[in-house]
Amino acid sequence: MPQPNGVIDLQHLTKRYGRTLAVDDLSFTVLPGHVTGFLGPNGAGKSTTMRLVLGLDAPSSGAALVNGKRYASLPRPMHEVGALLDAGAMHGGRSAFNHLLCLARTNGIGPGRVSEMLERVGLAGVAQKHVGGFSLGMKQRLGIAAALLGDPGVLMFDEPVNGLDPDGVRWIRDLMRSLAAEGRTILLSSHLMSEMALTADHIVIVGRGKLIAEETVQELTTRYPSLEDAYLALTAGSLEYGASGS
Amino acid sequence: MSVLASEWLKIRSVRSSHLTVSISLGGILLGLGLAWMAVDMYDHATPAQKPGARLAELEEVVLMVPQLCMGVLGVLATTSEYATGFIRTSLTAVPKRWPVMAGKSVVVGVIALFTGSAVIFATYFVCRALIADRFGGLYQIPFTDKLPLLTALALTVPVFALLGVGLGSILRTASGSIVVLVGAVYVVPIIVGNLPQPWSDLLGSVMIGALPHEITRDTTTNTVYGSLLPPVAAAAVLVTYALLPLLAGTWLLCRRDV
Ligand SMILES: Nc1ncnc2c1ncn2[C@@H]1O[C@H](COP(=O)(O)OP(=O)(O)O)[C@@H](O)[C@H]1O
Ligand SMILES: [Mg+2]
Repeated sequence: MPQPNGVIDLQHLTKRYGRTLAVDDLSFTVLPGHVTGFLGPNGAGKSTTMRLVLGLDAPSSGAALVNGKRYASLPRPMHEVGALLDAGAMHGGRSAFNHLLCLARTNGIGPGRVSEMLERVGLAGVAQKHVGGFSLGMKQRLGIAAALLGDPGVLMFDEPVNGLDPDGVRWIRDLMRSLAAEGRTILLSSHLMSEMALTADHIVIVGRGKLIAEETVQELTTRYPSLEDAYLALTAGSLEYGASGS
Repeated sequence: MSVLASEWLKIRSVRSSHLTVSISLGGILLGLGLAWMAVDMYDHATPAQKPGARLAELEEVVLMVPQLCMGVLGVLATTSEYATGFIRTSLTAVPKRWPVMAGKSVVVGVIALFTGSAVIFATYFVCRALIADRFGGLYQIPFTDKLPLLTALALTVPVFALLGVGLGSILRTASGSIVVLVGAVYVVPIIVGNLPQPWSDLLGSVMIGALPHEITRDTTTNTVYGSLLPPVAAAAVLVTYALLPLLAGTWLLCRRDV
């Protein structure tokens, strides 16, 4: 059987933190070639799901597979999966170049590729500057450069446009679409449907850890007056965390 | 191998590492200053006072500086990743996790070994040159006789550094880990020294400060600690100080959600 390539596959994925059921029997598959929007109100379990896929948290039950394997079993994972979870997660005293090179080295990636990625995200001019002085938008770009280092077929971005100015939002949107057009698998989370409408082709909606809907944007727009209406109707029962997502 | 290169870059690309190594090396200057003061005092003493003049081995006095600094280097090597959240990115790159701890330990251990040796030996030679035959010939003992003890003293510095890496990985906060580390250098030995016998000698024999003397069966210096352990046992205790927290920290790192 050929190895599934560029596929994220969740099988009854469940994660409990004490009494909180953060992810509840979640099953869905993300396929290559388009942007899959991962949508849900704050606290729906999107970030937790991504940490489970990356093996950062251990599932209480179920499994998350990338290209048919557990992430932790990948020998050089950066060549298969790239992820941006939290743009602020970097040592402020390190230069952008060294930050990336620290990661690159672990997967046998050299400094040439680091420079290339800094160029690609528009940070070549500040490569030697400490990241502590970077704006949120610059940190997002650096995080995206890190995700792209190994030229992976699967990419996951957790709310990458949060807090960005319109230029930054536009840049990320275009990047996502071009990465998908190259045949990669893109899982992009957001709590805003308006964002998804412009970027995603497929949409997975979660609420309170459970799968609510898994459809194409086209299917949703035929069933509801607008995507916004679809989102509100589908997640109406899931807003118990007091987070309306606005 | 690639993880080792990464950990080496992580350490050398942040300022706190340069600072802790520099302050450690400042221990040599401290030794120089103390030796100079001691010489000055000795030379101004009356002939009657001179035979009774005592001085502690200054390389053992200044040893605390690299011990603490390299301990902090070890602590920060792990806890700074938790503080910034960078640990998640690190472990995404190396999902097996234990190589990250192994790489950190090697890098921090080697830096501490070089730094500790530099401080101990440089301080020793500075003192030997300055103090010469003063203080009852304290620094006239042949170097080859002192070499085992000086080596054992230098080795306590990487032990502190690895203790720091281990504690940092267990506690995941810099403040908590540094408190435990400082407690291990300063507080516990004082408490142990004030316990009733036989506890003072029994526990005093397993304090880190006692081990170099026990390992080398050194008789050239007086120690404030107990000295009940045979060399092999003392060496085993020294290794345990480094490895036990490291293994516990690695085990936890491999099991915990981050
Ligand atoms: N490490 C954790 N410990 C305890 N509870 C957590 C932890 N991470 C997430 N949660 C809880 O799990 C739920 C889902 O959170 P999260 O995955 O961050 O949602 P989202 O990313 O969709 O906003 C929330 O109720 C959150 O409080
Ligand atoms: Mg989130």
